[in-house]
Formats: sequence, structure tokens, C-alpha cells
Amino acid sequence: MTEEEIREKIFDIIAKEARIDRGTLTLESKLEDLKIESLDMVQILFGIEDAFDVYVPQDDQSFKLATLKDVVDGVKRLVAAKQQSA
Amino acid sequence: MADHIRVAVTGIGSISSLGHNVGEIWAALEAGRTGIAPLTQVPLEQINIKIGAEVKNYDETKRFDDRELLVYDRYTQFALLAAREAMADAGIDFKKDEALGLETAVIVASGVGGWSTIDQAFYSLHKLGKPRAHPLTIPRMMISAAASQISMKFGLKGPAFCVSSACSSSNHALGEAYWMIRTGRARAALAGGSEAEISLTSQRSWESLRVMASDTCRPFSKDRKGMVIGEGAGILVLERLDDARKRGAKIYCEIAGYGLSADAGDIVMPDADGAARAMRQALQTSGLAPGDIDYINAHGTGTQLNDATEVKAIKAVFGEAAKRLMVTSTKSMHGHALGAASALEAVATAKAIEQSVVPPTANYVAPDPDCDLDHVPNTARRAKIRAAFSNSLAFGGLNAVLAFKAV
Repeated sequence: MTEEEIREKIFDIIAKEARIDRGTLTLESKLEDLKIESLDMVQILFGIEDAFDVYVPQDDQSFKLATLKDVVDGVKRLVAAKQQSA
Repeated sequence: MADHIRVAVTGIGSISSLGHNVGEIWAALEAGRTGIAPLTQVPLEQINIKIGAEVKNYDETKRFDDRELLVYDRYTQFALLAAREAMADAGIDFKKDEALGLETAVIVASGVGGWSTIDQAFYSLHKLGKPRAHPLTIPRMMISAAASQISMKFGLKGPAFCVSSACSSSNHALGEAYWMIRTGRARAALAGGSEAEISLTSQRSWESLRVMASDTCRPFSKDRKGMVIGEGAGILVLERLDDARKRGAKIYCEIAGYGLSADAGDIVMPDADGAARAMRQALQTSGLAPGDIDYINAHGTGTQLNDATEVKAIKAVFGEAAKRLMVTSTKSMHGHALGAASALEAVATAKAIEQSVVPPTANYVAPDPDCDLDHVPNTARRAKIRAAFSNSLAFGGLNAVLAFKAV
């Protein structure tokens, strides 16, 4: 899966679950500014786990999500780790 | 003059196998029409008892939007629909009267809560081996979800919780709400219950208890074979009688008393003494005498033992006055909706008092010597009801009886 495919998929999930206009999302968008509600955030994480078949760690301090770029990078790492262990 | 605050019923809402609103449901109750039919939510080839009293022609997507359906289990949906109808019926907009909203209780009972949500989660994890549960599993399945969603939807900020006592759940909810208003703890309340547990796991579990009828539900009748599972919700708006009169509200009746007891006997077998103690307490708290009660909406599940035991208890409490009582079971029509049962029955009782019509015991074939009261078989009867009881005698011996009184 290319970086672009990962990004597109993540943007799809966020736009759907948080009901945000897909066109307004950029890699620089800050999660805080998107004002995503708590239940929507767990839906987004569920959607990401489901789409990429990964586990988004809950307590991993290195997994800091401030911007959408952080999210995409984080998922890229998880996908790469999964492929390595496969 | 009562030495306590009197409590009026000013709004009712319901959904059951008999219809999606009180108008449809009452028309069926009055006509003695049963909602029992072949089940549609469970593959019939996988079950032995193939009938139930399901909410029919129900399309959740026509009632709620996608976001709502994510968090509303079927049982919460029923509760919200009944609450919405009851609120509109009462004509109170709590969002406009914020002070009243702060003093309004929400007590919504259920026997099992979001059973279908739990069922699906178990199925997908245990059977399908899925790696993760849906993130809204917990908020959907928790047994207090309906109470929370109703308080959120209508801006009700007083005491809010769920009570669960098997088949008496809703009478406990209504009774506690009544008692809160009576003692000044709350000014108004939305109370009742909801249940939607019809599923393969539930149906097979009930089958194993050997208390279900395979033909239909015929309480108090000869040849009765047992209960039939139902589903639905009933919500009542309760408020101070004085408040209701002041605002010129339509008043169905008063809740005048509430009796509670436990058998401390068996987890499934009923006990006449426990039931009798609850009825006596309902008389005592309401100040009514046995001769004042005209109608009892019985627990009347349709099992051999329950109905005979309940009749025995009624005779012990009412003595000679039992002979002129009308004792019917509307479970013959809306089925046994478990944790919602007494809410459906409270709605039926409030309508009966308002309309001066006693809903019959449907599917009645012939008298049983053990059930020799006036069970109003098959055809509704026009009769003035001065006061009525609604009995709930749950599995596990948890009894709750409400006394209703015409105003």
C-alpha cells in the first residue's frame, strides 16, 4: 500500500466518522482544530484498525497524534511493522 | 385529603407487538386482538417455540438517523419512541422549562438492556474470530443506556437511572418515580421500561426453562401452556396532581399506591404469600379498601403455576370483594415483554380507566377451576373503573404492585 493510498483511506475514514468535509482535510490539519468528538474518535480508530488490520496502541508514548500527518505516519509504521513480522 | 403529594399520569407512550403508538395499541387491546405471531427475528428452523409478540413493520432507519442508530440498541430505540410520544401527549416542553427539567426524574427499566448488541459482539468475537469489538458496544448494551439517552434527548436533569428486577422491572421503575414525586424528591418523572431481547440465544434459553407456550398465550384459561415472549416499551409522564391541574393538563389517572415484597423463596416458582403482601401494601399506601378496586391488570403470564398462584393471592387479599373484581391479563395480546411488561400494562391500565373499558383476557378457551375469578374472557367490557391494580410478580420472587385511581 502506497503512502498516498494510506493517506486517502485515512482521510475517508475521518471525513465519514466525524462528518467533516473531505475537501478541507490536509496533512497539516490539527486534530484539536477538527473538534472531533470522543465517540467519533473511537470510531475513527476502529475504522483505521479495521481498514489496515492493525492495532493502534493505546499507551504508546511514541504514538503522538497532533496532526493528520502524525496519523498517516503512525499508520505507515504500523503497516510496515505488520509486513515485517508477516 | 391525602397527607402527601398526589401524583398524576399526564402522558403515555408505547410501542409493542400491537402497534407503534398508544392509539394503535389501545385499539387492539379493546378489540381483544393478539400481537402474537410467528417470529421474524430468529430463523424458525433453529428454534422449537416459533412464536412471539414482536414489534411489527418496524424500520429503524425511518425513525432515527445513521448517527443515532450507531449508539441506539433496539431497546433504546423503543424507549425513545415511547418517551417522545408520552412527552408530546403530556404537552410539557422541558427544554423551555429548565427549572422543571432539573427536577424531573428519568427511571427506565429493562430486564437485560441491549441484548442484541451483546449477542452480536459475542458472535463476532467468539464465533467469527474477529480481532476487535465495535467501539460502541458498551454504550449500546449497558442496561442504563435508555435512561441516559432519554435524559439527554429531552434535557431532563433530575435523578436518572435504570432499575432491573426481571419481569417486575417497569413496575419498580414506575413505583420509584411515583414515590420520588410523592415524597418531594422529584417534581415530575418519565418512567417505564423497554425490552428487546428476541434473538436466537434468548429464545433458546427461554425454551430450556420449559415455561413457553407453543400455541399462544391464554392466561387463566384451561389448557394454558405458558408464556409468549414479547418486546416493546412503555413510558409514562408523572407529575404532581396540583401541577397538572394548574396547567390544565389532561389527566389519565392518579398513581395512588405502591406495594413491594420479595418471596425469598424460589428463583422461578411464585409464592402466593409474597404476592399478597405486595398487594396489601399497595392498598395500605393508597388508602384504598379492597372494595374500592374494580380491575386488576394481572401479572398473568399464562403458565399453569403463575396464574393459579396469583388468583390464590388475590383471594387472600380481597376476600369476598374478589368476586366482583375484573382480573385480566393483557399479556394474552402484547405477550410478555419481560422488563417492559409492567410498563405496557400501566399504559393499558391508564387507558382502561380513561376509557371506562376493561381490556379482556384474549385466547381464553374455557374456565380453569384454579382460576375462578372474573377474567373477562376474549371480549372487552365497558365498566367504570374507580381504582385498579397492576400486578408484577417476577422470577426470583420480586413483586411490585401499583395502585391507579380515577381522578
